[in-house]
Amino acid sequence: MEAEASAFETSEMVATFLASTPLVRESWRLCAAASFSTTGFVIEQIGHVGYLAFSSVQTGQAISDPNWARLVPFEAADDVVFGPLMTHGDGDGDGDGDDHQRPVMVHAGLLELFLSLFRSQALQHQILALKEKCKAVVITGHSLGGSAASLSALWLLCHSHLQSVSYSPSVLCISFGSPLLGNKSLSRAILRERWGGNFCHVVSKHDIMPRLLLAPSATLTPQMQLLLQYWHFSMSTTTSQFGNHRNAAAAQLGDQETAELFRFIMAYLENSSSEEAVKNLLFWPFGNYMLYSQEGAICLDNAASVIKMMHLMLMTGSPNDCIQDHLNYGEYVERVSSMYLKQRSFIRAEPPKSTYEAGLALALQSSGIPSQEPAATLAKDCLTMARRLGRTPRLKCAKLAVSLSKIVPYRAQIEWYKASCDESIDQMGYYDAFKRRGSTKRGDQVNMNRHKLAQFWDNVIELWESNQLPYDFHKRAKWVNACQSYKLLVEPLEIAEYYRKGTHLVKGHYLSNGRPRRFQVSDRWWKEGRTNEKENYARTKFTSATQDSCFWARLEEALEWLAILQSEHGEMKQDIWENISKFDKYSRRLVERKEVSKDVLAKNSSYTKWTEELNKLSSPLVSPAPSLPLVQF
Amino acid sequence: MAMKEELIKNAYSEAITAHRSPDKPFLKKSSTGSSEVIFSFRGSWAVKDWYSDKSQRPFGEKKINLKLFPSLRSIGNEEAADVNQAFEERFQLILENPKLKDKVQKAAKDKKQVVFTGHSSGGPIAILATIWFLEEHRKGNIIFSTLPLCLTFGSPLVGSHIFSHALRRENWSGNFIHFVSKYDLIPRVFLASLSANKQKFEKILNFLSQRSKQVPLHLAQDAQDIFTEVMTNALTLTSHVACKLMESTNLLLETVTNFIELSPYRPFGTYVFLNVGGNPVTSDNFNAVLQLLFYSCQPSSDDEVLEIAKRSLGDHHGYESELPNSFRGHNYSSDKSYAYEIDMLNKAADAFGLSTSGRLCLLVAGESEEQKKRNQEKVKSKVTDMERALKEIEHYKNVCELEKVGLYDSFKLQKDQKDFKANVKRLELTGIWDEIIELLKGYKLPDEFEGQRQWIDLGTQYRRLVEPLDIANYYRHLKNEDTGPYMTKGRPRRYRYQQQWREHEKKMEKGSSGESCFWADVEELFCQGNEKDVAKKIQKQVLQWEKEGEIGNDVFLHNSTFVQWWNSLDSEIKLNDIQPLIHG
Repeated sequence: MEAEASAFETSEMVATFLASTPLVRESWRLCAAASFSTTGFVIEQIGHVGYLAFSSVQTGQAISDPNWARLVPFEAADDVVFGPLMTHGDGDGDGDGDDHQRPVMVHAGLLELFLSLFRSQALQHQILALKEKCKAVVITGHSLGGSAASLSALWLLCHSHLQSVSYSPSVLCISFGSPLLGNKSLSRAILRERWGGNFCHVVSKHDIMPRLLLAPSATLTPQMQLLLQYWHFSMSTTTSQFGNHRNAAAAQLGDQETAELFRFIMAYLENSSSEEAVKNLLFWPFGNYMLYSQEGAICLDNAASVIKMMHLMLMTGSPNDCIQDHLNYGEYVERVSSMYLKQRSFIRAEPPKSTYEAGLALALQSSGIPSQEPAATLAKDCLTMARRLGRTPRLKCAKLAVSLSKIVPYRAQIEWYKASCDESIDQMGYYDAFKRRGSTKRGDQVNMNRHKLAQFWDNVIELWESNQLPYDFHKRAKWVNACQSYKLLVEPLEIAEYYRKGTHLVKGHYLSNGRPRRFQVSDRWWKEGRTNEKENYARTKFTSATQDSCFWARLEEALEWLAILQSEHGEMKQDIWENISKFDKYSRRLVERKEVSKDVLAKNSSYTKWTEELNKLSSPLVSPAPSLPLVQF
Repeated sequence: MAMKEELIKNAYSEAITAHRSPDKPFLKKSSTGSSEVIFSFRGSWAVKDWYSDKSQRPFGEKKINLKLFPSLRSIGNEEAADVNQAFEERFQLILENPKLKDKVQKAAKDKKQVVFTGHSSGGPIAILATIWFLEEHRKGNIIFSTLPLCLTFGSPLVGSHIFSHALRRENWSGNFIHFVSKYDLIPRVFLASLSANKQKFEKILNFLSQRSKQVPLHLAQDAQDIFTEVMTNALTLTSHVACKLMESTNLLLETVTNFIELSPYRPFGTYVFLNVGGNPVTSDNFNAVLQLLFYSCQPSSDDEVLEIAKRSLGDHHGYESELPNSFRGHNYSSDKSYAYEIDMLNKAADAFGLSTSGRLCLLVAGESEEQKKRNQEKVKSKVTDMERALKEIEHYKNVCELEKVGLYDSFKLQKDQKDFKANVKRLELTGIWDEIIELLKGYKLPDEFEGQRQWIDLGTQYRRLVEPLDIANYYRHLKNEDTGPYMTKGRPRRYRYQQQWREHEKKMEKGSSGESCFWADVEELFCQGNEKDVAKKIQKQVLQWEKEGEIGNDVFLHNSTFVQWWNSLDSEIKLNDIQPLIHG
């Protein structure tokens, strides 16, 4: 394994790259401008990039709420939809305990702040107009403005997700010294949607704001209020006015309070370095963190490392620094981006043993932690923790091609099984045959294959979602097609097993509660590759696999509806009839277009039986159904 | 390659002389008794000769003219090189006059060593002339015994990374040597977008045209601005490239590329950096050279910026005093040892006193080349497995033929255990080849790979035997009705790659080596109805391939899909030459 571990530490190089672009500098310039605008935000276009910057000066509930570290789910946003971040069930049948199940939550006050901006200013319209006009959009903000920026970017990403199903659209959120926003589930959901690269949170070496929510802040409310007031005052005053009032504002926030706050936060950060404590943190970072010091910057995308580094960098500061640094972003940004052009000397006691060590030393230097300080060793450990241990994505993907070729024969065996069911005298197709199978060797074999294939694809998706495969993996025809063929052939068996075991009686129907994530992901890959294609190849024969892999799950629900109707004869349930009619119409269209494989129409298949039952039920002799013009064959 | 002492200096002086002859497209010099003929090209100081008026792109690049330079592409990836539009236009203009071709041809006929040279924007013309000369040789239009040389001095960058990739594959890379002065701006200027800085650049070119080494006061600010602009963009590019080479998986790198424009230009060939008062630094690793272009002229303090900015203009004309007396270059070769390469890079870093970041960037460039070689070793270790699997499928083919049902049709029916077993072998080979293709797609194998006989032959053998199975599988499962015809919607990339390798090696027309996939055309015609021309073409091709032994006898078994299709043809489309081949 060691031989394949990454030979380079890249946190410093990524930061160099970002700092050399105009993005961070322009963002800061606009953030500063926004704080003096009357609307609370500014919009500007530079080249083909559109910028939206939020003012750091925000008032309202977010600040005055005494219990300000409260978390709420995104559903609290009501009509503002955060599609994939809403707390619907994962549908992962295996259910692997603890925080996987915890819903995605965000800071109540910050969400409310965002919503009030979003609703009152027709912001939604402006964001969409900007996205329409510019190829790429940067959303930025300082302090609380950064939180509004993060939520706007999240909303825009969710919106694009619903609109075009395209991954990673050109949206970049750059926040400066913003508080943490959500819980660990949010962080995880963002990783899973592969939006980590759309967020870059700039944090200066000692700024206490982004670190505040790593400690439970209930006990700190009075100091917090003073602190926010002080910052607000400083940010909304121009520098000339600033001098005169500075002391007055600072006086309210006495040295003693400041020191106490600092001690309190430090103590918590100290504690939170244990693994147990990290698990219990209410708030959790997401996306990238660009940590600035006087000596440079590093950029990290591993949340655990971010928490640790924020602590270690703060250790080198003083109570006063941690408050002033919240106001110093302009200086940091200017200094660091001009610094990279010049050669930086690098002092070291002994030559590094490897390129990795050299990169590590460089990152350490850039994070402003002197190598003689005790924090340096901890910081090294922390950066090493995020080191990639396995193969590079490209090699992993290449290797996966070999694994795929070993797994496909299992699918081929299922194809055989399907064909033999079609030819068997039972005439019920592979769905029903598998669902009603006794303990035969062949049934066991097929079931085993189903398991192996599921395992393989779960693993692929896990690798992809944890960013261990090339970034464009989901656009490669080979993989999208392989996953699609797997889904079309095998998902019916998953459904059969689900209903065979009666899981629907416990968990609810397959479609809403039991569909494994791998199939949902497969749907998205397939759709994304096909947004511009027309799908009207005229078919001459029935397909080899039903094109809607959830067909049987829909049928199972239709069977249930039919049973209800049959049992409660006298009283007609209008909405059930409507559902049945909808399914009937849908399934007949599939059959007409030959988009089902022939097992669906086998003489003894559940579908054939269903249509027969339906005919009986709605035949004029039994009970005429007035609202059902479509049922006659 | 050792070069004669005077050659570099002679070439330089010719390149400078060419500048002074604005009415001639090129100069030719052959001293009596000398074995070399030097062709030199002048530069131009007009902005439109650097950034074409017609260009819409921020960096003025276009896809290269593949008719003129058919090798300048990545074969399997079907990626043509980008080239600076203005340079290509200027070269084509020079080529329109038959004089260049005549004289070069004569020199080659006289068994002379042909040397192309140019200073400043004359460099790109010399480069394109050299590649054109090599291409003409490859086509058989010009015959020479000694490979030509290309020496450039302070040349701007010309094209994308495909230049380096393709020239190495063709084994031409070692013939290009670029001399770059430590601070000269021009070799670096295309790392920034010219379209955004056109006016300032015009002033700079105007200054350079006077061949002065002293930057006047009124230009100092412009010099500093453009120097800072170029260096900032160079840093963005070099740090992005370095992150990618370090295999950083941070998705931010992808997102940000939607927000900024990165220069498409990359160095290629061998670079000789002239180091004031020190030994020149040489490298043929294009990624290392890219990093050196930035790091070698990085100022060490704010005070130094203006001074270096001025030198970056003044030094463009200061080559003669710094040129080495002799030059021991090296041919690019893939068997240079890793330790040697790393040692060279470390020495380069020492010579320029590079910062830690600079040194790391050089080392990652070295490491990435090494990784390519390691990948190739891994792939090579699977050749025996591949050959064994091919043999088994070959056996399957023979068994099928004995049973009078050809390979294609037997596999399509999938009736017996033997068909299933053949499918497993097919999949095994699929895995290995897809692994190779994945590596090629990311340029993670040595550049030579797609030009190596061993792989081209193995690929062709595999393609002829196994692609029919893939097609049979495709039509067996009616995937044509799910997704469309095999050839346009379903053909795996591996077969496209292999077909193109063979077509490139044998200099065949694109698409003409389709002997492995005519089954797909037959299937389409069978179900879509016969188009007269297509049907005729297939029959002709099949006859041709049969004659050359590129397709098997099983195609003509009387119950094969092909023969059935042929039988169904109207007599006016039918080629009767097929009849005698039918058997079984």
